[in-house]
Amino acid sequence: MGLNDPQWGNKNSGGPPDLEEMMRKFNRKIESLFGRSGGGSPKGGGSQPAGGMGSGIGLIVLIVALIWIASGFYIVDASQRGVVLRFGKQVEITDAGPRWHFPYPIETVEVVNLSQVRTVEVGYRDNEKNKMLKESLMLTDDENIIDIQFAVQYFLKDPAEYLFNNRMADDKETVRQVAETAIREVVGRSKMDFVLYEGREQIAASTTKLIQDILDRYKSGIIVSKVTMRNAQPPEQVQAAFDDAVKASQDRERQKNEGQAYANDVVPRAKGAAARLMQEADGYKQRVVANAEGDASRFKQILVEYEKAPQVTRERMYQDMKQQILTSTSKVLVDQKSGGGNLLYLPLDKLIQSTNPGADAPPAAKTAEQLAVPAEAAPAPRVRESLFGREREAR
Amino acid sequence: MKLNMTNFLVGAVVALILASMSIFIVDQRQTAIVFQLGEVVRVETAPGIKFKVPLLQNVRFFDSRILTLDSDDPERFITAEKKNVLVDSFIKWRIIDVKQYYISVGGDEARAQTRLTQTVNSTLREEFGKRTIHEVVSGKREELMRVVQEKTDVDARKIGVEVLDVRLKRVDFPNTISDSIYSRMEAERKRVANELRATGNAESEKIRADADRQREVILAQAYRDAQKIKGEGDARASALYAAAFGRNPEFYAFYRSLDVYKQGFKNKSDVMVLDAGSPFFKYLKGSGRDGK
Repeated sequence: MGLNDPQWGNKNSGGPPDLEEMMRKFNRKIESLFGRSGGGSPKGGGSQPAGGMGSGIGLIVLIVALIWIASGFYIVDASQRGVVLRFGKQVEITDAGPRWHFPYPIETVEVVNLSQVRTVEVGYRDNEKNKMLKESLMLTDDENIIDIQFAVQYFLKDPAEYLFNNRMADDKETVRQVAETAIREVVGRSKMDFVLYEGREQIAASTTKLIQDILDRYKSGIIVSKVTMRNAQPPEQVQAAFDDAVKASQDRERQKNEGQAYANDVVPRAKGAAARLMQEADGYKQRVVANAEGDASRFKQILVEYEKAPQVTRERMYQDMKQQILTSTSKVLVDQKSGGGNLLYLPLDKLIQSTNPGADAPPAAKTAEQLAVPAEAAPAPRVRESLFGREREAR
Repeated sequence: MKLNMTNFLVGAVVALILASMSIFIVDQRQTAIVFQLGEVVRVETAPGIKFKVPLLQNVRFFDSRILTLDSDDPERFITAEKKNVLVDSFIKWRIIDVKQYYISVGGDEARAQTRLTQTVNSTLREEFGKRTIHEVVSGKREELMRVVQEKTDVDARKIGVEVLDVRLKRVDFPNTISDSIYSRMEAERKRVANELRATGNAESEKIRADADRQREVILAQAYRDAQKIKGEGDARASALYAAAFGRNPEFYAFYRSLDVYKQGFKNKSDVMVLDAGSPFFKYLKGSGRDGK
C-alpha cells in the first residue's frame, strides 16, 4: 500500500497512521452506516466527532481509489507487447517495461508473447516415431500415397491482428489446420518421386509460402519462419519394396563398378602382354640377324680357306666330323656280309637304356632353328648308313 | 452531517448501479445488438462505450472475429468416375450482418454451424461429382475450393454470415482402395528394381565384353606387329645367309651337313648301327688306296 508514501499525503497529518486506530474507525463507520448491527447502538454512539467520521470515510474511499489505481499497473516483458483497449477499442501498443493503464473498466490490457518461436508438428507428435497417420498420409499427383512428417515454426508479428481478427482457441491448432491443407495441396500437385527424393526443399518452400498466404488472408498476424521436412517416405506397407528399389540402384552401380574393375584389370594386362610380344619379337629379330651375321661371317672365312685347298680341307672337315660323332655316340658295328641271310637281332631299346645313365642330356641349341634337325633315337640302320654314303666328288 | 454522509454513500452506490445498467462496452472483437422488450433497436458495431435505457433495454454480444468450423469426421463423396473419397475440410466464416444472423439462427452459433456444414457438404458433393479424383487431388483443387467458397458464401449471406474460405485438408481413399494403391505402388517399385538390376547387369556385361574385345584387339595387333618384326629379322637373316652361302652352294651344303651330323650325334644315348661295309670304314679294313 502506498499509504506511508509521503507523496500520497496523509489526511491525518502527523506521522504514520495507526492501523488499530484505522480499524476502529472503520468499524465505527460501518456501524454508523448500517446502524443496528449486532444489537443496539454502541455506547457513546453520537459522541464521535463528525470530523473524525468524515475523515474515516474519506480514508476508505482513498484506499479503495488507491487499490483501483494500482490495478492499472502491469509489466511487459522484453518479448511481449501489451495491447491497451480503452472501452474495448485498441488505443496503443506498449513496449517492454513497467506500464500503467487506466484501470478497469476504462482501459484493459492484453499481453501478447511475440518473439517466442512456436512449433507445430504435423503428422507426428513429439518425435517422428510417434506418427499420426491420419495427418501424414496423403495423395500425390500420380495417385500414390506418401507419408510426410514436418514441423512448422512461426511467431506472432502483429499483436493487434492476432488478437482481433481471428477467434483461435489455440494458435497452434489454427496453424496446424492451415499447414495440413497447404501441404496436401502442394503434394497433390507433385509427383511422388519428386516429393520423396529430389524435391524436398522445394516442397518445403512452396508449403511455407502457401501457409503464409493463407494466414495473411485471414489477417492472423502470424509469420511462418520455417517449414522443416522431418520425413518424407513411402507408407510402411510398401517401405520394403522402396528400400529394395534403392538397393537395386546401388546393385546396379556395384555391377557397373565390378565390370569396370574387370576392364581395368584385363586391358592393362593385355597391353602388358602386347608389349612383351613386341619386345620378344624385337629380341628375336636381333638374335636371328646376329646369328645370321655370325654364321655368314664364319662360313665366309672358312670358304676363303677352302677355296685355297678344297680337297684337303674337305677331307679334314669330314674326318673331324667323323671323329666327333664317333667319340660322342654309342656304336654297334655290324658286318652284314659275313652275316649272310641270317636275321640279325639287335635289342636296340636295351642298348639305349644301358647307355643312358638317366635323363637325356638337353639337346644343344641349334645354330639356326629353322634348319634344325631334331635329335632322335637311332633309326633303322639303312637310313643311318645312307647318311655316310655321301657322294664323293670324282677326282 | 452524518445523514449527509450516509446519503452520499447510498447515492453513490445507486448511481453506480444505474450507470452499470445503462452503460455497456463493446469490445473490438464484438458486435452488439440492443433489444428493447425483445425487439432489435440498434446494432453496435464500433467498439467503445455505449449507452442504453436501463431495465427497458438489454444487450447481446456476438463475436465479430473470423471463426473456424472444422468437422472432425471426414465426409464421404463420390467423384465423377464413381469412386469414393473421404474428404476433410474446414470453413472460415464471420458474422457480418448481426441482425440477420440473430433473426435467422437466433444468434446460436451451433445452429449457424450446422447450416454452414450442410451447405458446404452439398456443394462439395455436387462439385466432386463433376470432377475426377486426379482433378480434386491435384489439378483442380484450388478451383474446387474457390467454387465451393463462392457458392457457400451466397447461401451464408442469407443468415448474415460471410464464408471467407473453404479448404480441403484430406482427400483420401477409403481403406480398400488404399490397399490396392499400395499393391500397385509395390508392383511399380518391383518393376523399377528389376529394371535397375537388369540394366546394371547388362551394363556390367557391356563393359566386360568391351574389355575382352580390347584385349583381343590389343593382343592380335601386337601379334601382327611382332610377326612383322620377326619377319623382318628372318628376311635380313636369309639375305645374309644367301649372300654368304651363295658364293659356293656346294660347299655350303657339305659344310652345313657336317654341322648337322655333329649336332645330331652327340649324346651317348644316340646309338649308331654301322655296317662294316660302308665307306665309313674304308680304312678300318685296310690302308689300301684302292678307292672305289
